[in-house]
Amino acid sequence: MSSELMTWLIPLPPLLAFFLIVLFTNRSKGLSHTVAIVAIAASWAMSWMIFFRTLEVEHFGQAVIENWVPWLPFGSEEVGTEALAMGVLVDPLTSVTLFFVSLTCFMIFVYSVGYGNWGKPRDLRHDLPGNPPHNGIEPLYSRFFAFLSLFAFGMLLLCVADNLVLLFVGWEIMGLCSYLLIGFWYARQYESPHQITPRQAAVKAFMTTRVGDVLMLLGIVYLYAQTGTLSFREIMYAHEGEMLTKLAATPSYIVGLSVAGLAGLLLFAGAVGKSAQFPLHMWLPDAMEGPTPVSAMIHAATMVSAGVYAMIRLFPLLSAGWHHGDPLTAPMWAMAFIGAFTALFAATIAVAQNDVKKVLAYSTISQLGYMIAALGVGAYIAAAFHLVTHAFFKALLFLGSGSVIHGVEHGMHHAHAEGLDPQDMRNMGGLRAKMPLTFWTFLIGGLALAGFPFVTAGFWSKDAILGGAWEGGYVVVFVTLAATAFLTAFYTMRQISLTFLGEPRTQAAEHASESDPIFRWMLFALVVLAFFAVTAGWAGIPESFPGLGGLPHALGFTANWFHEFVGGALLEHPPAEAFDVVPLATSLVVALGGLLLGWWVYRDIRAGARDPLEAPLGPIYTLLKNKYYLDTGKYRDEATGEYRDNLYQFLFVRPTIWLSETLVSAVVDRGLIDGTLHLIGRVALRLGDIFRNYFDAPVVNGFGDLVAEVVKRFGRNFRVIQTGKVQQYLIVVMAIVIALGVVMFMPGLGR
Amino acid sequence: MDFIIDHLLSLILFIPVAGAVIITLLPKDQVGAIRWVALITTLFPLGLSLVLWTRFDSHAAGFQFVEQAPWFTVINSSYHLGVDGISVVMILLTAILMPLAVLFSFSITEKVKAYMALFLLLGTGMFGVFMTLDLILFFLFWEAGLIPMYFLINIWGSANRQYASFKFFIYTMAGSLGLLLAIQTIGITLGSFDMLNAIEKWPTFAGAIYGIPATTIRAAAFWAFTIAFAIKVPVWPFHTWLPDAHTEAPTAGSMILAGVLLKLGAYGFLRLVLPLYPAEAKFYAGALAFLALMAIVAGALASFGQTDFKRLVAYSSVGHMGFVVLGIAVAAVARDSEIFKGHAIMAANGAVLQMFNHGLSSAGMFLLVGVIYDRTHTRNLNDFGGLFPLAPVYGGILIFTSMASLGLPGLNGFVSEFMVVRGAWPVYTVITAIGMLGLLMTGAYILKGIQKVLHGPVNQRWAGHRLEISRREVIAIAPLLALMLVIGVWPAWLVSVINAAITRMMG
Amino acid sequence: MIPLSWYLTLAAAVFCVGLYGVLARKNAVAILMGIELMLNAVNINLVAFWHYLTPTLASGQMFAIIVFTVAAAEAAVGLALIISIYRRRNTVVAEEIDLMKW
Repeated sequence: MSSELMTWLIPLPPLLAFFLIVLFTNRSKGLSHTVAIVAIAASWAMSWMIFFRTLEVEHFGQAVIENWVPWLPFGSEEVGTEALAMGVLVDPLTSVTLFFVSLTCFMIFVYSVGYGNWGKPRDLRHDLPGNPPHNGIEPLYSRFFAFLSLFAFGMLLLCVADNLVLLFVGWEIMGLCSYLLIGFWYARQYESPHQITPRQAAVKAFMTTRVGDVLMLLGIVYLYAQTGTLSFREIMYAHEGEMLTKLAATPSYIVGLSVAGLAGLLLFAGAVGKSAQFPLHMWLPDAMEGPTPVSAMIHAATMVSAGVYAMIRLFPLLSAGWHHGDPLTAPMWAMAFIGAFTALFAATIAVAQNDVKKVLAYSTISQLGYMIAALGVGAYIAAAFHLVTHAFFKALLFLGSGSVIHGVEHGMHHAHAEGLDPQDMRNMGGLRAKMPLTFWTFLIGGLALAGFPFVTAGFWSKDAILGGAWEGGYVVVFVTLAATAFLTAFYTMRQISLTFLGEPRTQAAEHASESDPIFRWMLFALVVLAFFAVTAGWAGIPESFPGLGGLPHALGFTANWFHEFVGGALLEHPPAEAFDVVPLATSLVVALGGLLLGWWVYRDIRAGARDPLEAPLGPIYTLLKNKYYLDTGKYRDEATGEYRDNLYQFLFVRPTIWLSETLVSAVVDRGLIDGTLHLIGRVALRLGDIFRNYFDAPVVNGFGDLVAEVVKRFGRNFRVIQTGKVQQYLIVVMAIVIALGVVMFMPGLGR
Repeated sequence: MDFIIDHLLSLILFIPVAGAVIITLLPKDQVGAIRWVALITTLFPLGLSLVLWTRFDSHAAGFQFVEQAPWFTVINSSYHLGVDGISVVMILLTAILMPLAVLFSFSITEKVKAYMALFLLLGTGMFGVFMTLDLILFFLFWEAGLIPMYFLINIWGSANRQYASFKFFIYTMAGSLGLLLAIQTIGITLGSFDMLNAIEKWPTFAGAIYGIPATTIRAAAFWAFTIAFAIKVPVWPFHTWLPDAHTEAPTAGSMILAGVLLKLGAYGFLRLVLPLYPAEAKFYAGALAFLALMAIVAGALASFGQTDFKRLVAYSSVGHMGFVVLGIAVAAVARDSEIFKGHAIMAANGAVLQMFNHGLSSAGMFLLVGVIYDRTHTRNLNDFGGLFPLAPVYGGILIFTSMASLGLPGLNGFVSEFMVVRGAWPVYTVITAIGMLGLLMTGAYILKGIQKVLHGPVNQRWAGHRLEISRREVIAIAPLLALMLVIGVWPAWLVSVINAAITRMMG
Repeated sequence: MIPLSWYLTLAAAVFCVGLYGVLARKNAVAILMGIELMLNAVNINLVAFWHYLTPTLASGQMFAIIVFTVAAAEAAVGLALIISIYRRRNTVVAEEIDLMKW
């Protein structure tokens, strides 16, 4: 099969699976998950086939796979416009993205079979649809796989898209699936009315990302209006990037920004929303209300990566006019700032979180910040590299946490401790002995996240980013990212220690286990992902690295493989990095230091003990725990016990609700506009009344009545001559005859 | 067969009336017969419209399927019908929605005969507006659509129907008074009421009429036309009749009201205002774009603030038509500029496509609201909650249709909104940027609807009820769902026709 | 010869007597009698004119014959009417028969 055709086909099997499940196989859970898994496996197979094919092409960056069709007719040749085209593109970036996306999706689908309690009977009494199952099979099992499939379609579509519109289509479909899947347990209620429910979290996710999306739409539209096309190759590569130079030189509507700058900023806004960067970050931690496979897939490995992927894809546009050593363009500056800031900001919050998934959520935000910052300083390859490795180990960590949660729930069931929160790390501890395979895979993932040297993928990619920042001379970014790396290692080890090390703090943790058959599905996925979390980094070892530089070659890749392969996607091949000891030393110090500190502080926490950080940090700890109050919804003031608005709730949500319910509906529409109409109506009624009472009735009607009255009076008065007596009539006749005779025959009277 | 092709438009136009006559002759207790006669009557225009569509040549200039016959020879008004790319799309929309609305109306049980007869008469009115090429006929059909709608709302509507029907009728008719005067002016001045003639001669007419210079007369006539169409579209701030009328109308009435009747106004802008008054339209286009922005943003905000499900959907129509008006404003201002002509074409394409798309999605949404209202007899969002397990198929269809209404890429709403935004951005940058607030709030109200109806724990009030959508209703909405998906994925079949007509119109 | 004027005077006198009877008598039958007198007075007039002015033409005689034929018929009908009225209203006094009043 030709590569073009195969690329078109890659997103389709999951879409087909979605329709099949929704329309036909809904009733049968087994059939549904089979359809879904077969479909994603097909996509995965095709993706890897494409990937391996592209490995063999020399200078693949120039000889990409592309194919398109005209999609939206527009104007005509006489007017000078042409139809908008849609198609597929596989360049080196797409190739590696397809590699990890298809694999992680596949593994998550497999994991979901176990997570959904496949094999258990349906518990009709306790498990209501729209609520998480207790011990029976998930009631809406088929629907879950349908949504997952639709999501996979969206992500794969985004990956192979050759133009911004198709990318946007995939982007939004994933947004929809994110909404549907976060709110999967739509009926779930909590005791506290201020704790965010899944359905509220879903709306929050959708609306927050929509803020970014509408700005991105403006960016797309702007680019289209300026260039007449939205195809990536045409805008960024055709004619040696001629169009980019033009865009970078043309001024835009905002003084000081070129077209490329403004469009780039608008497009970046989309990524800020989708990849949960500050200030649109608050939806991601609440998205943890969704089932864990959803958190893993959408909120770690793929959808949030889509924002970064789009930015990497658009890097030539964002950096139009920039070369190494130049001052950063506006979009790059924004990315560097927001990325680095978010990385540190989220890492600080993660330190104070107690929910196992929330720590990972903030960790994701932080790592995405890393990638964005890398792009911001021009470290294109490093950003792409971290994208790939992060997907593997973050997915691994989330799936691992899901396994932990299931294990603790198991323990809760056995220990009859139903009221516990199975996601709170304070209820865990000592799970290393109870759930060994989960522990080891989680540890691998955690070490990768922290950047444990040499044997984890995370190390290589993080090192590349730090190296890129250092090399460009961006000291502030470098220091921020290094501090973040330290905190990352710290909270990772904190998480591992609290969850797995020490002694079990509750009965539930005591009875946790991973021996149930459902775990087999989950553990399989964990192992596969752990493998890649270790090895994926080796493909990107820079050639200049002392000692290990030759490893990619030894593994069968070319020297400096990742750099050469992905770097070929750019017009100007980025120069190979020279080795510098400073970033390497920094990486090692912060990673190992953070891990050590985290382990040492949290290695032996007893049940009921306070967090060791609470005392030294004091009020800062509360600030971190409450996420700096930068959120919608309310927080609980520990001192007074009452609930108060978070910042975004106060600044954005309340005014919007007021605008909608009060100003527009009541005051303007009903009050002003309808009020005016009703006033006109009343005036017209008054006028009508006046006209009727003062003119129509007396004058016009009166005249008619007057005529009738006159006739009546005359008639009444005149009728008396009719007496009914014949003789009197005859007298009258006689009188008239005589009178007539006199008149006719008397001479002298005029005829 | 030749007869059918030669008189295609007349047949489409008058078959509904013939059906109405047949229905009046049926005995009023034969409810089943009446319903089926009505349904079959609406299927004929659908079939003929599809024939029209397939035989329509989008590359040929001018109007096709033209029929002309002398009618009012004294004043030079003839029975003149014809279609171009824009009309054909609108006729197709009307022809698709009529049978679906009639099929849904099978749930009406009182005075069925009168209902169906009125509905069919309404159909003729709508078809007539889209087909006619004579100004007197245009006005005739324009007004003819009002009376059946008034009765439909007044007799079969809900609690506040007297107020709503009265408001709708008087408001719209008041707007059309100026229209009639302006049409008379044109006819008397030019000596003929033919639309093509008027488009050719009226913009450049330079004489004086009864002593008043032509420019003044033209400006006054422009406003007369604009106000009439602005009330119908509706353009903010003339929109307040819409929430009341849509909410109180029976479901099928709302489907047709939102689906087709609003488009009459927009069609009037494109067919009459822009060609007849190019200079005035260009001058006031900025104001129109601003009003469109108000409609988009205020409509979305108001929609979010509603507690009545149907009113929420009604306000969403205000917002969606705002995009149509924005596209029209761009077309008005940019059509003769060499640099911006491409943007004008894109915006106008988007406006017409949005007319079609909105017809589909709002008809679908009203149908779905009607489904739940028929079963629960309440439209208050706070009365629902957790209905997803009780009505899963309904829930799925509701989410799908909501997403089309929201403009999710992959479905039809996105394509038209994208085109309008793309066309408007270079011409009215600030307005388009602020309009994104409307797009943002659109998401908010759609999700509010879904959340209040489907999500949350099951509202015990409905626990034992049969709330699921019936097969008849699924058949009624299925064509709309299919079209929403098809147009979203592959819009070329529709956009090429629109594009050819608009490109030619822009010159 | 007797002059024509004596006949005319006689006819006039008879006519006036008849007229007085019609206008002043109470009894309906008496009114009919008065009508007969008037008709006969007319007859006298007709015959007198005939005899003195156009004795050769037959029209005068014809006219007189027609008149008293009509008189006879009219008397019969009149009496029939009076009897009919008497049967209904039990009176023949003309003044009491005034149903056709306003």
